Amino acid sequence: MEKKLSEMDFDEEGTVKEIAEDLRAKIAGMGIRVGKNIRMATKQPIKGPVVVEVDKSFTSLGLGIAEKIVVEVE
Amino acid sequence: MKILLMGHPNVGKSVFFNRLTGAKVFESNYPGTTVDFMKGWMRLEREDVELIDVPGAFSLEPKDRAEEVAVKMLEENRDSVVVCVLDASKVERGLYLALEIIERGYPVVVALNMWDVAEDKNIRIDVEKLERILGVPVVPTIAISGEGFKELVSKIKDAAPVKIEKIIESVGAVSAAASTGEAQAQGGGESAAVS
Amino acid sequence: MKRKLKEVVKVPLSVDERWDLIEKISKQTVEFGAYKHTLKDAIAELTVKPLTGIPVAIAVIYGFWSFFCDFAGTLFTDGFMVKIFDEHWLPWLQSFFLGGLGNPFYALMVDAGHIEDGVLVASDNCFEAFGVLTSGLFIVFGVVLWAVLAFYLIFAILEDIGYLPRLAVLVDTVLHKIGLHGYAIVPTFLSLGCNVPGVTATRPLETRKQRFMMMTLLAIFVPCGAQIGIMQELVPELMGWIFLTLAIGYLGFGFILNKIVLGKSPELIMDVPPYQMPTLRNIGRKLWIRTSRFLLVAVPFVLLGSIIVGLMYLTGAMDWLAAVFGPLLMVWFGVPSETVAPLIAGFLRKDLAVGVLGGLMAQGIMTTFQVFTSVVLLCIYFPCLATFALMLKEENWKEILGSFASLVAMVFVYGGLIHLIGIMLGVA
Repeated sequence: MEKKLSEMDFDEEGTVKEIAEDLRAKIAGMGIRVGKNIRMATKQPIKGPVVVEVDKSFTSLGLGIAEKIVVEVE
Repeated sequence: MKILLMGHPNVGKSVFFNRLTGAKVFESNYPGTTVDFMKGWMRLEREDVELIDVPGAFSLEPKDRAEEVAVKMLEENRDSVVVCVLDASKVERGLYLALEIIERGYPVVVALNMWDVAEDKNIRIDVEKLERILGVPVVPTIAISGEGFKELVSKIKDAAPVKIEKIIESVGAVSAAASTGEAQAQGGGESAAVS
Repeated sequence: MKRKLKEVVKVPLSVDERWDLIEKISKQTVEFGAYKHTLKDAIAELTVKPLTGIPVAIAVIYGFWSFFCDFAGTLFTDGFMVKIFDEHWLPWLQSFFLGGLGNPFYALMVDAGHIEDGVLVASDNCFEAFGVLTSGLFIVFGVVLWAVLAFYLIFAILEDIGYLPRLAVLVDTVLHKIGLHGYAIVPTFLSLGCNVPGVTATRPLETRKQRFMMMTLLAIFVPCGAQIGIMQELVPELMGWIFLTLAIGYLGFGFILNKIVLGKSPELIMDVPPYQMPTLRNIGRKLWIRTSRFLLVAVPFVLLGSIIVGLMYLTGAMDWLAAVFGPLLMVWFGVPSETVAPLIAGFLRKDLAVGVLGGLMAQGIMTTFQVFTSVVLLCIYFPCLATFALMLKEENWKEILGSFASLVAMVFVYGGLIHLIGIMLGVA
């Protein structure tokens, strides 16, 4: 099933399917890229940022940014 | 010649800098901005060479002012050797920055820092093979204890610009030498995807 | 097979091409063994999760504050410095310095004294004496230095451990609502030490809008360690209220600025590094650089400032200014006309200003609420000269003008509001 990264539940895992064009280069250096396994490490309440884990690295993304990433989850 | 110390934030770059330089260090301000960086001198083959601690960056595609300055400093010091400090436990992410710098034609020495952390995490890196593929010196280091620094310093003179085509080619060649026919075919398929 | 593909390589590679290459390199050179989650990983995650992270953040900040008060305030300032300055330094200077009470030069350098029942009497502490060699040196070396040192020590430890990015994630929820990053917590925090490095630390904010907002808020609402040190020494019982008032102003005014300043407020993209053991050498180096820089800025300004304020008192300029601005201060802000003196000093240094205010307090001419209002006013009305100079360097004059205009409007609105609330509560 496909969903936005922002819609993933806490501790859910998936594979990055699509990243908005304008975002791709910005987060490429942090290791977030299409085809990678991604885990939702924490979600902050009231539309706060998310923290995701890719390759054992943790990155915090604003919710609006997380909305621009599509993830495939089982 | 100058030496630029580059790498992600939080990979121990400042500990690196402190180890490589002597007592004479200056904190300066990049002209027209409030971005600070450290500058010092290190002894290299009986010569004092300027060492600049470039602000931490994840890529040369700047997303904030500090990264912008990092890119500008790189561009302004065309004749520099870049010591690229990577977190050995996160090699892939680090190689992204290293490749970007190599692509721009700079001679690079790769330091695989926090080697001990990588070992603790059961991550094994074939340094020699990595060196062969990249065509640049690769040295495992532990900045906190100073391990690997002698070797790193001795290899700075070996750094030379490498063409990215060469790296793409050597990835293929190494895989061809090392793998079975099936894997080779697979490798060929993948490099088609590259171009 | 590969030869014909090679010609099409374009430099630099695209993002996807580069990652493809890295994955191939990594496949051949890196072997990822079984990875066990350790206690450190668990802590790393727990401190960024809201349910567990927020209590930890509160505990960290509380610990920070307690250490700050105990180490700087109680141990060094009250334990050693007050005794040294009041019991030895001041009497010693008073005993031999040329001129004696009433002499202008003596007043400027050592002790201006104060009128008690129509008689000029000597001061018995360094806050009241108001000479360059007494109050000036006491402010810098007796109080402020220890406050700043304590502050930077803990800040450097938190920084090197890798805690700050987690704090940034936790506060991003709130700060994003006013158009800032969670990362804005770092310059804000750093400014509690000194606004100068605080302004410097605005660099990781992405857009001009965010940097402009951040600097304006820092300059107005974040008191520096020097100021906090002095306030803690003079009005420890009011600290909670002062911080609350400033925090409300910071968020409220940030909310307004976010609405009126043009530009984008992009969202957070930030690495959350693993925790690390800090090295003594690195912390020592940071502490040394930051503290020595602070002294370089602070010492000349405080000493020069005390000379200027002293001269203004001696020549009567201060009385004239008090007469001119007194009505405004009285009616609008509800503070006595004498407050003009600390406000003048505040142009140069905030700690000096609070010090001057301390002198006034000792003479018993202010109510508690007036002291509170004056301290808040001092904090918000103008950044110190050093901060202002740095802002000038960072931003163009248009933005500085904008910052300045919002500052003036802010001081009047917020200062008036505090007075109004005071009147309604019946304490003003």
